[in-house]
Amino acid sequence: MLTLTIFLTSCAGVKELSIFKEEVKRQPLALEKPTPLQMEKIQWIIVTSENAEEVFKKMEEQGLDPVLFGLTDNDYQLIAKNFARIRNQLKIQNDIIDKYKDYYESEEETKE
Amino acid sequence: MFGTAKLIMVGIMVTGLAGGVAYTYKLKADNEMLKANAIKMESAIDEQKTLIQNQKKDFAEILETNKQMNLLINNLRKDIEALDKRFNKKDRDIGKLAIEKSKVIERIINKASDKAARCMEIASGSPLTEEEKNATKKSEINTECPSLANPNYIPY
Repeated sequence: MLTLTIFLTSCAGVKELSIFKEEVKRQPLALEKPTPLQMEKIQWIIVTSENAEEVFKKMEEQGLDPVLFGLTDNDYQLIAKNFARIRNQLKIQNDIIDKYKDYYESEEETKE
Repeated sequence: MFGTAKLIMVGIMVTGLAGGVAYTYKLKADNEMLKANAIKMESAIDEQKTLIQNQKKDFAEILETNKQMNLLINNLRKDIEALDKRFNKKDRDIGKLAIEKSKVIERIINKASDKAARCMEIASGSPLTEEEKNATKKSEINTECPSLANPNYIPY
């Protein structure tokens, strides 16, 4: 009986349950978004073999240097498409930044 | 002889009794600990439930964000296709047109260029004007990037 008593009292104990929880949040980066672009207005001039003289004369009348930086019709199409692609990429990148900001920062605000 | 046996018996009984009392105390202490553990477990279960709910909310938000991004990418792709179509619609040759109708094409190109510049401003974060927001007709939209500039325009 003594042996049994010692057995029961010393060995089989219930241990206290420990739950660890500690979360330290990183400081938000909070970078300001850049100011939206303000584009300059540009003027396209179509020059053909027929109107070239007239175009240059008009430019001189307007006090502009009679010189043009040219593109062929094919290259004009390509530059238009290139700009459209850059614009799309800019929009996508901007939206991704906004979505990340919404996802992480709005969650922190609701938790606080 | 009999006295010694009696003493041993009493000793055993006293020890047994003491052991029983000690065991009862231990059981009481264990019971308290189990109660405390049960309370902790319950609070842990509640926390886990909240965590699972938050995770579900996060997954839904991630799915919705991906959906929105895919929609945006598709719409932007359509804008590029529309631009390509404008240049090459029905074997259109913009070079020949420019030779034949220089002034008209020049005016069209300059208008389109202004619209494209505005598209760039919007893409970089410039807010939409009321006019852009309310545009629903083809004649009112920015034909270079309707998906960016005119959220209420439905192509027809």
